[in-house]
Amino acid sequence: MSPREEQHRQDERPPGEHEVGGLAFRDEVRGGEREEEPPAPPSRQQRRITWQKATFLPFVLLVALLATWLWFRGARLDSIAHQAVDDGKVWMALRQHIYLTAVSTFFVLIIAIPLGIALTRAKLRKATPVAVGVANLGQAVPALGLLVLLVIWLGVGAKAAIIGMIIYAVLPVLANTIAGLQAIDPTLTEAARGVGMSPMGVLTKVELPLAVPLILAGVRNALVLNVGTATLATFGGGGGLGDLISAGIVTQRMPVLILGSVLTVALALLVDWLASLAELLLRPRGLEGTT
Amino acid sequence: MSFWEYVAGRHTQLLIDTYQHASAVFQCMVLATLIGVLVGVLTYRSEWVGNLATATTATILTIPSLAMIGLLIPIVGLGVAPTVVALTLYGLLPIVRNAVVGLRGVDPTLVDAAKGIGMSRVARLVKVELPLAWPPILTGIRVATQMLMGIAAIAAFASGPGLGNEIFRGIASLGSANALNQVLAGTLGIVILALLFDAAYVLIGRLTIPRGIRA
Repeated sequence: MSPREEQHRQDERPPGEHEVGGLAFRDEVRGGEREEEPPAPPSRQQRRITWQKATFLPFVLLVALLATWLWFRGARLDSIAHQAVDDGKVWMALRQHIYLTAVSTFFVLIIAIPLGIALTRAKLRKATPVAVGVANLGQAVPALGLLVLLVIWLGVGAKAAIIGMIIYAVLPVLANTIAGLQAIDPTLTEAARGVGMSPMGVLTKVELPLAVPLILAGVRNALVLNVGTATLATFGGGGGLGDLISAGIVTQRMPVLILGSVLTVALALLVDWLASLAELLLRPRGLEGTT
Repeated sequence: MSFWEYVAGRHTQLLIDTYQHASAVFQCMVLATLIGVLVGVLTYRSEWVGNLATATTATILTIPSLAMIGLLIPIVGLGVAPTVVALTLYGLLPIVRNAVVGLRGVDPTLVDAAKGIGMSRVARLVKVELPLAWPPILTGIRVATQMLMGIAAIAAFASGPGLGNEIFRGIASLGSANALNQVLAGTLGIVILALLFDAAYVLIGRLTIPRGIRA
């Protein structure tokens, strides 16, 4: 029963008062106006993943990979297809892909999170809307175009691909970090200051722990984005699983194409799954059940 | 050749590519919106099915677009077909998620009131719930469109239409004088299209979001 309904039924009490166990409780009145009902909790609740759910995905992936491998063994490959997959090329593409993703994600995190923290400090707060605007505008730039422009500028190779991936993923993680820090109830930071915490103490003991869920969501986002963008590295000679996909498309060899695609999908889903586990394990206990 | 000379010299081809890019993204967005809102309407009432719909579309989004196109080619072949299927699939996620969240977020007392004045289930949905859930759905459409702009560029690798072809022509002639112009023209074209679409959505929002619930 909501407070309002209760109020209607208890006509003997003046508005804003409830009877609990024969005692009158007055609603808190702020600014002369009765407080609105608290907004309904967001219906999209990211609840804790159960262990059944957590093991389901790797199981499915394992089955899919096994099926693909068995099918690929049986598929008839001609010399062109052999050229694309022999000499450990598949292994190498996979390793390159993981390397590209890991390096770019690392740099994204050490750039975006400190920058997000800096931009929400009092001194730089004026720059925050500008940064968010730039981050939103940057989303309009297609990853492919950005990557190829960097390749033209910096030359063919993994370097251009990694820089492109970093630029592309920094923006969403930055936006997430800023949003996470801005969403913190200002009364909490005020209270922390009130008990005599230094600005550094407020940041490390109050703000960052509260922003952890959103920052972790940003990390997961960056990983998934980077696994996807890393497939485009092939267009700039950066290697990765995109090599197999593009070789499959260009030479019209379906086994190569399917092997590359399935491996990429499996890697992306696996990375997302690992990141979701990290989210689950690193989230501060007090924030469970909240978004 | 400077960039502007290049654009002036190739404006016919560029305009065709731009038009095809915009038209592909627009048509797939219409399709994705129809399917997405329908899925949202069908699933939001059940906790379980609604979450399943959101989780499924989230999984689709996790798949890198080049891999998705790679998996579609053996099924639907090269050209327009894999582009349309991939774009529609990727466009679904933000719309389904926001439709489910938006419809679940409608104040139940309002739906109750609508029931109280004798509105049928369909009338409640069309006249009360969907208009109230429209702002988040429109946000989902905006996010999806922006994403599709970039994915459509990649789809050109599978002989899809649009400005991605300009970028891939540049890749093919990497090292030549025109490579930069081609890639730049393709990329800037997509950025401009994305911004124009975004502006259009702001306008649509102004026109279609009921005055009473405008933020």
